[in-house]
Amino acid sequence: MDATVSQVPSMPDARAEALVASYERAGYARIAPAILQPADPFLDLSGEDIRKRMFLTSAPDGAEFCLRPDLTIPVSRDYLASAEAGKIAGYCYLGPVFRYRSDGPAEFLQAGIESFGRTDTAAADAEMLALALEATRHYGLPAPDIRIGDVALFAALIAGLDLAPAWKRRLIKDFNRKANLAQDLDRLMLGGGAARPEYHGVLAALAGSDPRGAHALVTDLLSIAGISAVGGRSVGEIAQRFLEQAALGASAKLPRDVRGLIERFLAIEGEPDDAAGELRSLNGDVGKALTPALDLFESRIGFLAAHGVNLKRVRFSTAFGRGFDYYTGFVFELTDPAKSGDPLVAGGRYDGLLTRLGSIEQIPAVGFAAWIERLTGDEGAA
Amino acid sequence: MSALIIAVPAKGRLQENAENFFARAGLALVKPRGVRDYRGTIAGLEGVEVAYISAAEITAQLAAGAVHLGVTGEDLVREMIADSDKRVVLVEGLGFGFANVVVAVPQAWIDVRTMADVDDVGTDFRHHHGHKMRVATKYVNLTRRFFSRHGVMDYRIVESSGATEGAPAAGTAELIVDITTTGATLAANGLKVVEDGVILRSQANLVAAKAAAWGESERATAKVILDRIAAQARARAFREVRARFAAGDATLVDLAREKFGVETPFGGPTSSGMLTLHCPPDEVYALTAFLREHGAEAVAVADLDYVFSRDNPLFAKLASSLP
Repeated sequence: MDATVSQVPSMPDARAEALVASYERAGYARIAPAILQPADPFLDLSGEDIRKRMFLTSAPDGAEFCLRPDLTIPVSRDYLASAEAGKIAGYCYLGPVFRYRSDGPAEFLQAGIESFGRTDTAAADAEMLALALEATRHYGLPAPDIRIGDVALFAALIAGLDLAPAWKRRLIKDFNRKANLAQDLDRLMLGGGAARPEYHGVLAALAGSDPRGAHALVTDLLSIAGISAVGGRSVGEIAQRFLEQAALGASAKLPRDVRGLIERFLAIEGEPDDAAGELRSLNGDVGKALTPALDLFESRIGFLAAHGVNLKRVRFSTAFGRGFDYYTGFVFELTDPAKSGDPLVAGGRYDGLLTRLGSIEQIPAVGFAAWIERLTGDEGAA
Repeated sequence: MSALIIAVPAKGRLQENAENFFARAGLALVKPRGVRDYRGTIAGLEGVEVAYISAAEITAQLAAGAVHLGVTGEDLVREMIADSDKRVVLVEGLGFGFANVVVAVPQAWIDVRTMADVDDVGTDFRHHHGHKMRVATKYVNLTRRFFSRHGVMDYRIVESSGATEGAPAAGTAELIVDITTTGATLAANGLKVVEDGVILRSQANLVAAKAAAWGESERATAKVILDRIAAQARARAFREVRARFAAGDATLVDLAREKFGVETPFGGPTSSGMLTLHCPPDEVYALTAFLREHGAEAVAVADLDYVFSRDNPLFAKLASSLP
């Protein structure tokens, strides 16, 4: 039998229902988004890489659909389509999601919560972690390992560095990918890598010139060649990036002290209070750029303590959260200390998601999902 | 006795090339029931069935193990078969159907030379336009894996089943991933290949299906076929050079091996001073000059039809990967 087809249909069981009922009592409305979803939002937000794990199908008119690979995007879409859009609203859910795995069933149950519109960020973050802990407690694991991170801290660090915009864009992106940042830093230290013999002289000459004039020159040259817009990129965009490369210089390298700061930052991990102390001391060396993010971080620690979370069990790492799809701030994972491997519950803040799903105003959002089969220890062939 | 099934492209240049390839190896494909038939055999070889099907279908049949051997492009194998190394064996490149799968961008993108630039442009594009840059291709899986390896995330694939190279000009995509042989079609459409954007250098391959029913008789038949193909491949890669020396000299052979890459299928010079060397075609003239300088009285060069060796390297490769 095909391993991807579950032998026992993942029917919500009484125990999972009881968990979600407790979330309803906590004020989160039960929601049941459609299983069949348009594929575009998932591919747009999670990237083409998720395609290999998705079950895609198409309608006779060619529109692409998928079996939902998670519930965050479907719940967010339903919220935006409802009369509650833009207001404070919280939802809980329980139902199947579908992701291809070569070594286990592709259909499994998730329960979770999504909270929209709350501006008391630190309190909302802490409440999510507290509710996530309810899930492991409900399944007989009152003291899981708790890993937390905060991707807003890295963004604040980079924003505070004295670097060209192209470098900042590059570093933020490197942080967001799963690849080895240290390797990327090595590469950046060595300079542009690939030599640019053809335009090297021109770029060097343009580097020192008047930016508006240079932009006009390159735009004109492209226009003379009869090029207006090719493949959706305008001549202006091409000219701008061409000159940005010039500004970086052909031998552009990441300054050594910047690398030192980034490495110092990424080495910070441990109990949240200790980490906050270290971040405070680093903050002095980057012109206090971390202050707003750090204030939020410390306030969140306070709320976690108020929820009765044992901070001794919490391990914070500045590097945790790298490569996650759409998180913008607090991120967390709960794992079973007796087992290594996949998280039982995972969640975080995704303030940018709703605008990317079409909301005109920015709506803060935070939530988590629990893998029921992992919690029951009944994960099929996996 | 069950038959070994070989799938061969059903039409066009690929079929012609495949038939020529087998014919050169002394394996004449015949259609006993006429040219319109989609089933054939190999003249003088029992237990073989030749199935004429389309190249894409051959790839699917290999993945499913419905045929034992097939002729198809590596591009199709890598694109269409998930975990292809677990399911098929690329036994031998056949020397035709060469084509590269490449990433190509508009020539007007003067700021783009490498995949790192493509990556950066993708991020830039999303900031400017609010949606991701689009990549037109029929190689969805190859593209996804290659872009992922280069850390490119900000892009969307637009599936294209034909005339992909026209997509940027038509405004349906920003860049493409497509197959090219000479690059002429890309250039004609105002596109250039990204420097480190060659995803795959593909050619037609003889491919074996691991999941096919490999019984004793199929293995025995495959052994005969692969022996002939290997013998022919080896023959094609060398010319036979024979020379006679007044005094045989083993160090001379070592020197020739080092300088010209020759092989000595029958060992060093015989007692009568005869030496037989197999030499790569490009080195033949240099070798003959070298041999004459070192005392050869006459040097004869000839084409080879087959070079059979005791081992059967292609079959060994197949056998080692079958369960």
